[in-house]
Amino acid sequence: MRLSLPGGIAVAGLALAAVPFLGLPPFYESFLYLIFSAVVMATSWNILSGYSGYFSFGHGAFFGAGMYTTATLAGRFELPFLWTLPAAGLISALLGVGVGAVVFRLRRLRGELFALLTLAVTFVLATIVLNTPIDGGQGVSLSAVPLPAILSSPSSTLYILGLGMALLTLWISYRIYGSKLGTGLFAIHDDEDVAEVMGVPTFRYKLMAFGLSSGLAGIAGGIHAMFISYVTVGETFSIIVPLNVVLMSVLGGTRHWLGPAVGATVITGLLYGFTAGDYPVAGRAAVGLILIVVILFMPEGLLGRFIPRLQRRRRVTAVTAVTAVPPATVAAPAPAETLLKISGLAKAFNGLQALDGADVEVRRGEILGLVGPNGSGKSTLINLVSGHYRSDSGNIVFAGRDITGLAAHAVARAGIARTYQIPRPFAHFTVLQNVTLPAMFGRAALDRVAAESEALYWLEFTGLGDKADALPEDLNLHQRKFLELARALAAKPSLLLLDEVLSGLTPSEIEHAISTIRAIRDRGATIVFVEHVMHAVMELSDRIVVLNYGKVIAEGRPDDVMRRPEVVTVYLGKPHA
Amino acid sequence: MKPITRLILAAGGALLSLGMVLQPVAAAPAGPPIKIGSTLALTGPLAATAMIHKLTGEIYVEELNKRGGLLGRPVEWIVKDDQSKPDVARTLYEQLITVDHVDLLLGPYATGNILSAMGVAQKYHKMLVHHTLGIPSLAKYDMQFPAWSVGPDPATTVTNHLLDAFASVGKSPKTIAIVTSKFPSVYVMSEGMREVAKKRGLKEVLFLEWEFGNKDFGPIASRLKDANPDFVFVGALGLEGNQLLDAMKKIDYAPPLQYYMYPAPGPLAKAPGAEHALAGSIFEQHPPFTNNPTAAAFVKIYNERAAKAGLPDNAVETQAAASYSAWQIIEAAVTATKSLDDKVLSQWLKTHRVDTIQGSLRFDGPNNFGDDLMRLKQVQNGHWVTVWPKEWAAPGAKLLVP
Amino acid sequence: MNFPSWTLLGQSLLSGIFIGSLYGLLGLGLSLSWGMLRQINLAHFALAFLGAYLTFQLTTVVGMDPLATLVVILPCFFAFGVLMQWLLSRFAISPFNSLLVTFGLTVIIESSIQWIWTADFRNLESSYGDMKFKIGTLYLPLPELLTLLISIALSLSTWALLRYTDLGRAMRAAAEDGQIASAFGVNQRMLALLLSGMAAAFAGVAGLCLALSYTLSPSQIYAWIGVVFAAVMIGGLGNPLGPLVAGIVIGVAEAMTMALISPAWAPLVSFSLLILVLLTRADTI
Repeated sequence: MRLSLPGGIAVAGLALAAVPFLGLPPFYESFLYLIFSAVVMATSWNILSGYSGYFSFGHGAFFGAGMYTTATLAGRFELPFLWTLPAAGLISALLGVGVGAVVFRLRRLRGELFALLTLAVTFVLATIVLNTPIDGGQGVSLSAVPLPAILSSPSSTLYILGLGMALLTLWISYRIYGSKLGTGLFAIHDDEDVAEVMGVPTFRYKLMAFGLSSGLAGIAGGIHAMFISYVTVGETFSIIVPLNVVLMSVLGGTRHWLGPAVGATVITGLLYGFTAGDYPVAGRAAVGLILIVVILFMPEGLLGRFIPRLQRRRRVTAVTAVTAVPPATVAAPAPAETLLKISGLAKAFNGLQALDGADVEVRRGEILGLVGPNGSGKSTLINLVSGHYRSDSGNIVFAGRDITGLAAHAVARAGIARTYQIPRPFAHFTVLQNVTLPAMFGRAALDRVAAESEALYWLEFTGLGDKADALPEDLNLHQRKFLELARALAAKPSLLLLDEVLSGLTPSEIEHAISTIRAIRDRGATIVFVEHVMHAVMELSDRIVVLNYGKVIAEGRPDDVMRRPEVVTVYLGKPHA
Repeated sequence: MKPITRLILAAGGALLSLGMVLQPVAAAPAGPPIKIGSTLALTGPLAATAMIHKLTGEIYVEELNKRGGLLGRPVEWIVKDDQSKPDVARTLYEQLITVDHVDLLLGPYATGNILSAMGVAQKYHKMLVHHTLGIPSLAKYDMQFPAWSVGPDPATTVTNHLLDAFASVGKSPKTIAIVTSKFPSVYVMSEGMREVAKKRGLKEVLFLEWEFGNKDFGPIASRLKDANPDFVFVGALGLEGNQLLDAMKKIDYAPPLQYYMYPAPGPLAKAPGAEHALAGSIFEQHPPFTNNPTAAAFVKIYNERAAKAGLPDNAVETQAAASYSAWQIIEAAVTATKSLDDKVLSQWLKTHRVDTIQGSLRFDGPNNFGDDLMRLKQVQNGHWVTVWPKEWAAPGAKLLVP
Repeated sequence: MNFPSWTLLGQSLLSGIFIGSLYGLLGLGLSLSWGMLRQINLAHFALAFLGAYLTFQLTTVVGMDPLATLVVILPCFFAFGVLMQWLLSRFAISPFNSLLVTFGLTVIIESSIQWIWTADFRNLESSYGDMKFKIGTLYLPLPELLTLLISIALSLSTWALLRYTDLGRAMRAAAEDGQIASAFGVNQRMLALLLSGMAAAFAGVAGLCLALSYTLSPSQIYAWIGVVFAAVMIGGLGNPLGPLVAGIVIGVAEAMTMALISPAWAPLVSFSLLILVLLTRADTI
């Protein structure tokens, strides 16, 4: 019988729970506790930082908040130790959610800015704890706090708590890894804007991940306060704590749920291995060297090489379901009914009026060509409708519902999907996973299995069926454009916004694309497409809207509109002699 | 010294000590070795003083084995690196006790790590002799014994003695400024100074605290200069003392009296502007301390070894003396009781005095702390000399107040 | 509490400016490699301390003038920077992985320092240490003044180099868009090696200033990371004047907190400042 990885971990966990009864020297409990604690820290960090790519340098703050919560409640107010742990988790989780609620609203606070901000939070927290009665400067002693006996003896309590927390954290991390939340977080990691536009509620997901991540670190901190029994600010909020956590996770591999735990075990063991030798200083240098070598030769971490294989195995089961899926269509259109009504829409960037009171109407079932010279506001219009930007004024009504100012993921749920001119696939997702995501998060809101079948259908439709397992970097431009299209279609949108899907394609590829777009419309979708390839516009569009300097200057049937002199002038530059 | 040279020296030293053990001296120790286990912060932020403790321990064990070991058996010292981390210290002590099965324990240094070790010792009912624990009130375990004899309440006694010393030369300050790092062991002392100063009628003109790790001491020095107190009490740990002194020197300010709580003694004495600065100590390598032949012998060999190890400061003072005393306490108890039983040893220690190089120690006070043996030393002509109390003052030395 | 004297305020202001200029000097190389090479070079701090220890060694053992030690240190550090860039680019390392690799390097350098010079404190006693100028009631110590001047000179000349020379323009072009720059004949690899060498050499200069004003110990390497990162971030990545200006702002803000309120609250001021800047500043990066 083959044991799955999580199953193996569970069995190992049960076996480890028996350690206190084996009569082994208690040192092993203590040493294993150190590993468990590191596993909890690294794994909990990874739930936010590894999955979503928001590298936090503030994990020490949440760990410390937990330590001081337990130290204060158990050490000063003499509450039972075990009762302080939920409090420690809660305080840290609240702190994390609080920081996140401010920081995640700002789109540009990613990458190193986020890392530094969380580090700054750590130092601010340290200063506050030090200068208030929480610590006051003397440290908090827990030596008088009684330790309850959970299993065989009080001394095993910390071991069992550590083990329990490690298993709990791994379980949570594993469940998130395979869940909708996990998929959303990984999408955020690769391209947050695209994830949001495809229906991932990024703000809420990040907040959930941050809360879980910091809460788990807080509980670990509460236990650790008891383990060292004397808590001081200098020790707790040291920069070494987050550095070690990041180190362990990256060493193990941040894109695998088990990676950080592997890294934590290796680093803790390695560091401990040099405590007894005659040359501890040389041992420390050796740890540094090992770190460098591993990162250079395994940039994805120790478990990095295992990630694609796991993904491939998961997919085999889904393929069989494909035939059972009906083509994605919406109800037959009632002609001329207005699906999208844009009125007076305006948007300025740094004083530059990109869109200046545009009125556009899209009727159900039609193909609307949106044309105009570069900088005329076409892309801004798409970005406003899809919710990526907020308009300065004007409103957008979609299917009878005012969607002005709605978050992008809500717009996606409402049934609008878009493509990007320069394809923006999730780089670490396979082609299939790239298409599955919008099926899960878009209007269709399917569960994973149904979404995969749906995705496979659209991959076949766009001719990418045999590329399902490839990574986006293996596709050529033509295939990437079609991947964009497949992603938008898998959401089963009632309105499809296509941003220059034809640009950069060869003439024969364009012909193929045109027939594909027709086929889409034949299935009942309404399409707005921005395009520079004029013969395609003329061929495909039922109607055309011409933008110039952010205003609509003409609207009507293609052959009619393109003959108007004002259109010829602004759009084609000078009329041909 | 080049690393390779050091390696050869270390190897040579090991061979040499092996030779000594094998040498047929008067009462060559025989039988299985008595294992004494401890940790030191050999790496990490607390590593600055680790070499002092390591050298002292090595010297002591070497000499002890030459004398015939303990109970006729050789002594083996197992020392591990706690990396300056309390959690690692705790685990290492568990390992020493339950895996290495050491017979006796010796504590680490620095308050946090000692407390971690103490928790483990308590769990296994092992005796723990430790050095330089700064906050005696936290030592709740009844089988722990401090080798650094500062009394149960140093925050009150050390500070009172200080003011007594000033009074003894008729230079009692009227105003005091207390500036302190918020590092637990020094902070406790500074708080104590505050209380004592208030009780004895000194006017506190300035009280400042900074976060441990502060780098800019300029404004603190300026505020001291502005407040112009008769006496500055500096609660500084290690480097910080030097940094504050430098900062004061740079604005040409030298307080009439300045006391440093836990400075790095060597660097402070050498710093410009340190003349007449005061600090506490339990041992300095001059008479009357070195009238004790054991102390004199230790000072001689320690000076040599420290120079060989490349330490910038080779003198024996508080840290080395506390470390040496810890070994003396263990030896005295084992020799007197002819036992390795932690309870027997503890019982004996609680009821007997032990002569060490810092003086005669007792362990019958609160938390097993005895007398406050902290003496006052002063930088005179670039060297530390003990100046008070008189019976421990260096020959001819007295407290100088400019 | 009495109102603080003008001397106190003036002296504290100076103190803040001086330490701020050291933050800036430490941040300069860091900011360049971060902003232009996309490397978060944690080893910059370890290098600076290695430079400080080398200054200490060459001054006290060989008997060189502290400033003259740069003749030895700068070429060595430049070569080290070039070597490091060669290694990192060979493995096409990502920004966060560069953080980890350079952390490993930091640990190795720290251990080497402890091995060679022990963990005990080292203090450079130079002829500069005692010299100072006096203007009115205010003191200007020479080591700090040197740090300020060096920091200003290096920041300004780097700024001028990047702005007014062909080499500098090529560097900026390569940092902004490597592919396009290559298309215009810019040898990106050479420039990256040069830049990394420069950054490492700056660490050597910062080390000299550290040795002149501070007592050294290996674990002090980590003490500067937080606040210098803050200066680099507030100053804007890759902006050669940014770290100096931001460093002085932080230094003065901290010094004033110390002078007027309590030194213990000083870190709160600098890091709240950082948080505020990060939260409010428009997209400059």
